[in-house]
Amino acid sequence: MQGLVKDLATLLGPTQILSQPEEMLAYANDATHYFKSRIPDAVVLPHTTEEVAKVMKYAFEKEIPVTPRGAGSGLAGGCTPVHGGIVMDLKRLNQIVEIDGSNMTARVEGGVVLKKFQDTVEKRKLFYPPDPQSGCVCTIGGNVATRAGGPRGVKYGTTGNYVTGLEVVLPDGSIITPGGKFVKQSVGYDITHLMTGSEGTLGVITGVNLRLLPLPEADRTVIVVCETLEQAAEIVAEIIARGAVPAMLEFLIKLAITIMNQYFFPPLPTDGEGYLFMFFDGTEAQVEYEAKLVSEICHDMKAKEVRLIEDPRAAATYWTARANVYPLIQTIFERANSEDITVPRNKLPDLVRAVQEIAAAEEVMIGLAGHAGDGNMHPSILFPQVTPEALEKSEIAIDKLIRTGLDMGGTISGEHGIGIHKSKYLAWELGDIQIELMKRIKQAFDPKGIMNPGKIWMEDGDKHA
Amino acid sequence: MLRLEDYEKIIEKCSHCSYCQSTCPSYLVEQSESSVAKNRLLIIKEMLMHENLPFTPRAQEILDDCLLCTNCTQTCSSKVPIDDIIIATRIKIGQKGVGGIKQFVMGKMLTQRGLTGALGKAGSVAQKIGIATKEIPQLASKSFDKMYSGTYTPAGTVKKRVAYFVGCGTNFIFPDTGEAVVKVLNHNGIEVIIPKGQVCCGIPALAEGDLEGARSMVETNIKLFAGLDVDAIITDCTSCGMMFKEKAAKCLSNDDPLQEKIATVTAKIWEVTDYLQNQGLEVPPGRLDITWSYHVPCHRGWSPTVKDAPRQLLGQIPDAELREFDIPEQCCGGAGTYFMEHREVAEKVRALRLQDINNTVSDVILTQCPVCRFYIGFQVMDREVTHPIKILAQAYGL
Ligand SMILES: Cc1cc2nc3c(=O)[nH]c(=O)nc-3n(C[C@H](O)[C@H](O)[C@H](O)COP(=O)(O)OP(=O)(O)OC[C@H]3O[C@@H](n4cnc5c(N)ncnc54)[C@H](O)[C@@H]3O)c2cc1C
Ligand code: SF4
Ligand code: SF4
Repeated sequence: MQGLVKDLATLLGPTQILSQPEEMLAYANDATHYFKSRIPDAVVLPHTTEEVAKVMKYAFEKEIPVTPRGAGSGLAGGCTPVHGGIVMDLKRLNQIVEIDGSNMTARVEGGVVLKKFQDTVEKRKLFYPPDPQSGCVCTIGGNVATRAGGPRGVKYGTTGNYVTGLEVVLPDGSIITPGGKFVKQSVGYDITHLMTGSEGTLGVITGVNLRLLPLPEADRTVIVVCETLEQAAEIVAEIIARGAVPAMLEFLIKLAITIMNQYFFPPLPTDGEGYLFMFFDGTEAQVEYEAKLVSEICHDMKAKEVRLIEDPRAAATYWTARANVYPLIQTIFERANSEDITVPRNKLPDLVRAVQEIAAAEEVMIGLAGHAGDGNMHPSILFPQVTPEALEKSEIAIDKLIRTGLDMGGTISGEHGIGIHKSKYLAWELGDIQIELMKRIKQAFDPKGIMNPGKIWMEDGDKHA
Repeated sequence: MLRLEDYEKIIEKCSHCSYCQSTCPSYLVEQSESSVAKNRLLIIKEMLMHENLPFTPRAQEILDDCLLCTNCTQTCSSKVPIDDIIIATRIKIGQKGVGGIKQFVMGKMLTQRGLTGALGKAGSVAQKIGIATKEIPQLASKSFDKMYSGTYTPAGTVKKRVAYFVGCGTNFIFPDTGEAVVKVLNHNGIEVIIPKGQVCCGIPALAEGDLEGARSMVETNIKLFAGLDVDAIITDCTSCGMMFKEKAAKCLSNDDPLQEKIATVTAKIWEVTDYLQNQGLEVPPGRLDITWSYHVPCHRGWSPTVKDAPRQLLGQIPDAELREFDIPEQCCGGAGTYFMEHREVAEKVRALRLQDINNTVSDVILTQCPVCRFYIGFQVMDREVTHPIKILAQAYGL
């Protein structure tokens, strides 16, 4: 592959190419590193759309696989270069091009870090709600490519709800700009939203138009301690049914609280099994009313404790700890495999029960934490030790979990995407006809199959994980 | 004990979440994932622990480029002690004979603290052996230990007694900080003891992988401070504080008899503004019409309150107004002696820091780290960069 590195260096200049083994290590996988990883043949670090297009044109001619990469924080193996070739690191496309307060829109390059963007708009009293918990590093291009969401999904939806236009470099190097700055459009197929969630398999997202909202003036955090997991799930279902709309409604188990407690002074009580973290935002009157309504619902339903957190700094600590739950879990277990099942919200109590039954039947530990407000739970298989036996049991448990979620009318992924790790289950949810259709769409965009190959659906006889 | 072998299990805790990317200054300038804490761990794991791949000069360079700023360790939600692992690696590599000159310059020379101008010599040796920088801090005409030692008792009742560990920055470059520390503490009814015979805290040596050098400094200092009958041990430097609080014990084996003494010192160590804020000011400060910005030093992770202490303390001065930087905690690139050997990276890190500084209008920049003070100071001409305790001294009219 010496020729490849040389060619790329001629195209972009040597400072924008990496190829040494010690540099490649960083680019072999994402946050699911314990699955199969693959060292790329070269990494390119373009600064501009034109540079992206140059590389794509070259790769198209030579039929070399290209895997787009944002921060590499994905949880589905999406940016693992399973067929080697070029990894395209897009983080140098990091300019916030425009924030248009009068239109309530923004335009960013694909590699802009989510939190940097949110901080910038919030200084202007504007608000960009999608909040994958990896916001301090993940890129907006990556968010669009995975249709990422977060706790605020319950009230505000996910990334897809805010994308109004894109700039995309297609596999052959041509550049398209579907959608735009306008907030609605009815012109042919909606390519903007076809790209949204395409996981780097259709093209490279180099620019994104986003819709913004006014920054809510007030907020409240409420923490609820529940006797049992079922009780917590029933409270969630009731809150939704009664029409209260928290901006975040997170579900956590005792195990998560015990590790999160290192952030809290005084610590949260650990005598409950289920915990709800809720956040309300809006006008002062609105948050006051909603926090009160929800507190009443919790009391009516006999929650053990309902805490209204008045101090904004304390509230921020709870949410920081919440954002760190997944990595924190990994400090005490050898591994944690996070699933992404999402069910209709009235099915949450059923799902919680089923998860416990599966854990007992298969003798595995399953942690539960998730964006309960939108039905998106992340059951995680927790490995005190990774042994072949544990892996086998976990696979059976995951199969059962997924089947259960689907039987409840749910989906296999609410926000992480399919990548390589969930491709096994794609047919369970979509069926052959939809998958064939998707493959034909892929063929139309990427006739040579160079764009992030080996993702979303399984290749014949392939078992990546 | 900072032995690389001891980290084989904990290094596996890295979940590849990439959070460290958000705070690593070397990533900020390189903008390549090869230069982020996560990849440094991967290099250490694959090339030095498991030896799956040969350890290359480029890998060495990536490890050397680390500023040991600890930002990654503070950010890492999987609690991987990344900076300790990098130090342990440098110790191991050092044992293979690399980095000897660097060790001599900063490690061995600062042990001989009595020798006035150790730092100046280090600077000139540094220049001779080609790790030069135009920017070497000017030494004070008289070092702090030549002016202050012994016990300083406040005028009224003695509320508390503290021992003062004087770091090299204050001793050789900024004795004005030391004077302010003694005066402000005394003014608040706190007696200050400055033991004779203190040496460098050892962090520069440790950063170079010179465990032996660091250990001997730790031993000297601990023996000096452990037996003192004091309420607290004070430092004005966040890096010295970190060395005492978090690293000293790791320089010796777990069963070393000195560990007990280290533990007593560790339990009492405070950065001076943090201590004052925690105790509460005995005397309210006077009016001071000044706007100030606060550059939070990187080595802040050892105390949960140290980064807010100056804000709260100086917040009590009537009319003094804090003008926050956009990112108060962004590294300046100085990083101990790093800026001498890694001039290019350091200057790039600083250039990023300066953008924020230049966008923030204020009369003075405050920071508790002497290296930040001079390294930022080299490039900031419109304002003084100084220690927060000096503003407090000024508000007291001391
Ligand atoms: C601790 C932790 C918490 C997380 N919490 C959440 C959460 O709450 N909600 C959530 O949704 N996700 C979460 N994630 C997963 C992850 O952060 C998201 O999937 C995020 O959107 C990935 O962004 P990234 O920039 O890291 O993309 P990467 O991981 O680099 O890539 C993800 C996919 O997008 C493609 N891609 C990336 N950039 C582009 C581009 N510019 N153009 C085309 N394709 C591209 C890649 O090829 C890959 O298929 C979490 C991850 C971690 C480690
Ligand atoms: S110590 Fe600082 S420079 Fe080194 S890896 Fe960590 S964050 Fe980066
Ligand atoms: S923050 Fe910690 S766990 Fe996450 S990638 Fe960096 S070193 Fe690994």
